[in-house]
Amino acid sequence: MFGRARDFATAQCRELVTNSARWAKAFSDWFREPGRAREARGIKLLREWLSPEQRAQYDRFGYFDVTGCDSGKRYRIRHGTGTNIYEMDDAGQTRTGWCFVPDGYLVAGDVVLAQKIALETDEVGALTVAKHFVLR
Amino acid sequence: MAVQIVMDHNGDTRHVFDANNAKELARAEKRFRELTGAGFTAATRTGSGDAKVIRKFDPTSEETLFVPRLVGG
Repeated sequence: MFGRARDFATAQCRELVTNSARWAKAFSDWFREPGRAREARGIKLLREWLSPEQRAQYDRFGYFDVTGCDSGKRYRIRHGTGTNIYEMDDAGQTRTGWCFVPDGYLVAGDVVLAQKIALETDEVGALTVAKHFVLR
Repeated sequence: MAVQIVMDHNGDTRHVFDANNAKELARAEKRFRELTGAGFTAATRTGSGDAKVIRKFDPTSEETLFVPRLVGG
């Protein structure tokens, strides 16, 4: 009985130490590397995953359009880390805004890429967690 | 060589592995299970460049991207 409790406590301590070490390393990496390098890595990854049309649009305007896989609606995703998704109407005007982001601290390129993949592969799932915002 | 790309606070972290090496392949499959089990979405790119979500480890995939769980902003 006592042995089992001791093993459990040891395992818990080991996990705590491992997790603490992981967080410390993540913080250390984050602190040491310039933000620009992280941002640049995110944008490079995003550009690799955009279609040629989306890449051209993004390079020119700082946004690109995606088609929702379930509804066929068009969304415009602007470079940013939140409140940057706009649902478009047939006339190409912005109708309403949607906000969903990947969990945790990510650079803008990663956030935008996660939003693109979500709308193109699981639009309903993405909008289920999304918050709606009103355009001014 | 194949690569697993994990979005994180550094932009991304890349894990390169040789799909012809059984040990490396097993490690890649374990990483896939751990990340998807933790809520990450795994995606690959099709030949036409479209993203495709995968639920099961694909040993033939040259590039797999792991995206953290989505939350309302």
